[in-house]
Amino acid sequence: MRRLLVYLLLDTSGSMAGEPIEAVNAGMETLVGALRQDPYALETVHMTVITFDAEAKTVVPLTPLEDVVLPQITTPRSGPTHLGAALEMLGQQVRQDVVRSTDTAKGDWAPYLFVMTDGKPSDIQLYGEQCAKIRRVGFGSIVGCAAGPKAREEDLRALCDHVVRLDTMDSSAFAKLFKWVSEIIAHGNKSQGTTAAADLPPPPAEINLVF
Amino acid sequence: MSTVNLTADSGREIAFLDEVKASGAMKDIYFSPDRSYVVGFFRDPPANALKDRLRDIVTRYRENLFEKEGGTFWRSHFCWPTDTVTHNGRIGVVVPFYEKAFFFEHGSKNNDMLKIRGKDKEGKWFASASNREKFLDPREKGNWLTHMRICLSIARAVRRLHMAGLAHSDLSYKNVLVDPTTGKACIIDIDGLVVPGKYPPDVVGTPDFIAPEVIATQSLSRDDPKRVLPSRTTDRHALAVLIYMYLFYRHPLRGRKVFDQDPTKDEELGMGRQALFVEHPRDTSNRVNPDDLRLQALPWGDPAQRPYTMAGPLLVDLFNRAFIDGLHAPEKRPSPADWESALVRTLDMVQPCSAKCEMGWYVFDNSRLPVCPHCGTPYRGELPVLNLYSSRTAGNYLPDNHRLMVWDGQSLFPWHANRTVYPNEHLEERHKRRVGYFQFHAGDWYLVNEALPGMRDLTGKRDVPVGGNVKLAEGAQILLSSEDGGRLVQVQMAGS
Repeated sequence: MRRLLVYLLLDTSGSMAGEPIEAVNAGMETLVGALRQDPYALETVHMTVITFDAEAKTVVPLTPLEDVVLPQITTPRSGPTHLGAALEMLGQQVRQDVVRSTDTAKGDWAPYLFVMTDGKPSDIQLYGEQCAKIRRVGFGSIVGCAAGPKAREEDLRALCDHVVRLDTMDSSAFAKLFKWVSEIIAHGNKSQGTTAAADLPPPPAEINLVF
Repeated sequence: MSTVNLTADSGREIAFLDEVKASGAMKDIYFSPDRSYVVGFFRDPPANALKDRLRDIVTRYRENLFEKEGGTFWRSHFCWPTDTVTHNGRIGVVVPFYEKAFFFEHGSKNNDMLKIRGKDKEGKWFASASNREKFLDPREKGNWLTHMRICLSIARAVRRLHMAGLAHSDLSYKNVLVDPTTGKACIIDIDGLVVPGKYPPDVVGTPDFIAPEVIATQSLSRDDPKRVLPSRTTDRHALAVLIYMYLFYRHPLRGRKVFDQDPTKDEELGMGRQALFVEHPRDTSNRVNPDDLRLQALPWGDPAQRPYTMAGPLLVDLFNRAFIDGLHAPEKRPSPADWESALVRTLDMVQPCSAKCEMGWYVFDNSRLPVCPHCGTPYRGELPVLNLYSSRTAGNYLPDNHRLMVWDGQSLFPWHANRTVYPNEHLEERHKRRVGYFQFHAGDWYLVNEALPGMRDLTGKRDVPVGGNVKLAEGAQILLSSEDGGRLVQVQMAGS
């Protein structure tokens, strides 16, 4: 049975403190809860959660969906946004985790990556290098979310196939974002149109899709 | 939350709560305030063809199905749109809410750890060996008999659509709700119906169910004459996959064979041009490798442990036609009517497990000492097998390839006694009641005649009047009815 590995990179820099990080915690609960109600996702999805502030941390190592236990994600009071370092860690893990097909055995599906940030990467040079590397890993889809007024979509565009913008950082906005992410993950199981190939499901009204 | 009131195209008043409750590939779903119906709005701006098609579906096709003789029979088989609406430039369909049986009552194990209680019973929960084993509350799972009934319901419903000249075009476990506790099934998402030559399909289907020829040509442009789009023929493939998955909880084409190292291309070839049945009797290259499966997917995930031959000779023949002869030769695929007929007869060949195991029922394997294939328990007690014969020319009876297993609680119905009676939507009221039953008394089985005036024990050379009975002994011949089409049974005794 092919697995679908899903990586979530979440910004926990100082600016996320307070309501935003609470909203992310609640949003993650929504995401995992929604996926667990999907019999297709339960058969295939394995999940990794990496947070990044001054350092990158794997808070949920690769785990089958049904066994995922979400930790309470917290933020330092202040500090930089080391997205580049997070990508570096991600790259190592993906190369290790993903089972590639061989002549005699089927491997995993191309993995998915979701990156959420509310600022711009502080380690800009490393970020640039890592973007290029991650693009070569062979992700099936990379979706970025620029949350709040300070996040810049341009930064994410170097990394992502799709970028969405979250104008507010309250719990309802994050709830909708994570619900939408769960729909993307479960999308492989839906009816397919006769015209366009792989479309994203429509985002909720609060999110603007930037291509 | 605000309520939107509007007048539907039929002139009826419609209301819905202004919140998207679910999203499909094409539509957003809203609930009516009293939850007796939903309104599904198409996200894309309406093309005229879509509007015409929807109007036809809610008027002409609906009336033809439900307002004719036998119409009420179909109400539980389809969740058919009743009206169309327009709101803010979007076109929508009004669809009745699903029956209560199609929502989880208990949901998942451990006091519903997945929180699916009250959610609709999407077929994938039941069509996956590991989901069944790991997550579902045992009270939701039904048994092998109810799963066979689900297959019969689906085959019947698709047969009716096809008879009307329609194709569903997107049969999948998402678009067929099932209830294993009762054996009911209901086809939903009717608005994608394809009318050959009139309304082309707008979906190619759902992965797992798309016919190989559709996948193989999906990169061609829609107008390319070589492009294959959904039709009744591709519905036949999807139907066979559904039946296989509801009986065996695995996919018939997903085995070990690697078609390409790129998973997307591998999927395209393995479900398309190079698709190969995992239980193909001669080509073993796509066998399931049990080591690839999660432990909880066993035993059903491994065809070696639960081979498709368990379904009995009639269904095996159809699976062969669907997945061997007809996989790449669409014209050879069995029709829904073939499935319906084989399922009706196979249901008569089902016998209860003597240990009352979880699956509970199995198809008679034609052996003297049948053993439950689910739990290994030999059948306890005598098991009379009634072979049905009927006559085309006076006095000459030929086998009908139809057997009835006799167990405690089994009944004899008019469609057993007469070959011209068939259990479907045309069954007359007077034919719905049983005409005989079987009773075990002092070590012997008896057939008790309740309503068959012409029954005769040919071996004992005596009439069996209504209210009378006849012992079932090896080799006994009993004429059930002397009417035209009346059947004769030849008794065989199995069991211990």
